[in-house]
Amino acid sequence: MKQLLITLVAIVAALPLSAQKGLRIDEVFKGNIVNELALQESLVKGESLEPFKLKVLHTVKFTTSSTQRDRVEALFEEDMKGRLSDDDENLELEYRDGHLYYAIVQIADIRKGLHRYICYQSRTNMAEHTITLVYMEGKASLADLRKTFKKK
Amino acid sequence: MNKVTPENIRLLLTRYLDGESTQEELQELGEYLGHADRLPADLMPYAQMFALLGETQPTPSVQALDRLAADRPSPDLSLVGRGADTNGGLAGNKSNYSSPCKGEAGRGSHRLGLLLAAACIAAFAFILLAPLRLEEESMAVAYVDGKKLDDKQAAMRMGQEALQEIFSNGNQEEQLSNIFNGL
Repeated sequence: MKQLLITLVAIVAALPLSAQKGLRIDEVFKGNIVNELALQESLVKGESLEPFKLKVLHTVKFTTSSTQRDRVEALFEEDMKGRLSDDDENLELEYRDGHLYYAIVQIADIRKGLHRYICYQSRTNMAEHTITLVYMEGKASLADLRKTFKKK
Repeated sequence: MNKVTPENIRLLLTRYLDGESTQEELQELGEYLGHADRLPADLMPYAQMFALLGETQPTPSVQALDRLAADRPSPDLSLVGRGADTNGGLAGNKSNYSSPCKGEAGRGSHRLGLLLAAACIAAFAFILLAPLRLEEESMAVAYVDGKKLDDKQAAMRMGQEALQEIFSNGNQEEQLSNIFNGL
C-alpha cells in the first residue's frame, strides 16, 4: 500500500499542471518578468483551434526595455535547450546584433503525438523592444504551421 | 503429555492441525515453541508461525478448529516423526497453518486493505484525469492592458496575428526586398 501511494504521488508530481508549466518562459506568461498590465495576452484552447491542428495557443506581446528583453531572451534560450533537434523541420532561428531576433522551436513532446512549440520575436524601435512570445501544442507539424500562418 | 519432547510436540502439532487440540495442548505448544532455545530444524517453521499468529500462543476454539478442519483439506503431515529438512514443506503448506480465529480478522483486514487501495487508485485517477479534462475544454480569453476580454473572436485574432508575425519573419524581409527592388 505504502509503495503504491509513493508511486502515485511521484507520478502526480511529475505531471505538468498547465500548458507551458515547466518551461522557463512560464514566468513571462504569468507576468513575473514584465508587469502583466503591459501584456497583451491571448489564450485559446479546444475546438476553435481544430482547423490548425492545435489544442493550445498562448501568446503574449509587450513592449519593454533592453534589460527586460535580455531576461526574456535568456529564459527563452534556456527553454531552447529542450528542443527536439537542430533540423529545419523542428527549428527556425535568427540572431541579429547578438540578440535573438526570432525563433520557432519545437520542444520535446509531453505526450506522444502532441507536439509543443515555443516562438519568440523581438522588434527594436529606438531603445524599446516589442516582444512576441508564443506557446502552442497540438498535432500540427512545423511544416503544417508554416503552411497555415506564413503570409504569402 | 507429561514429558515435553520434540516427538511429543510433533504429535501435538498433528492434533492441532487436525483441529483436535485442547486448550491445555495449545498452551503447551505455545510455551514450547515460543520459549525453547534450541528447536529441531523441522519445528522452526512452526515456532515462526506461532509467533506470527499469536504473539505468544494461539488460542483457537475447538469449534473454530473443527470448522477449519472441515473447510480445508488435511495438510501434509509427513514431516511428523521425520525430523529432516522441512523448508520445502513450510513453503508448500504455509497457507494451511493460519489460525482460524486470526483467519476471520485477517480476511477482514485484507478486505479493508483492498477497499483502501481501490479508493486510493480512484482518487489518484481523478486527480490525474481532471487536469487533462480541463485542458481539453474549449476556452478563448484575451487580456489587454490588464483587462480581460471574454471575446472569443478577439482572442483568436490576437493569437493568429502573433503567429502570422512570427512565421512571416523571413518572408516579410523578402517581400520588402522585392518591393524595394521593384521601385
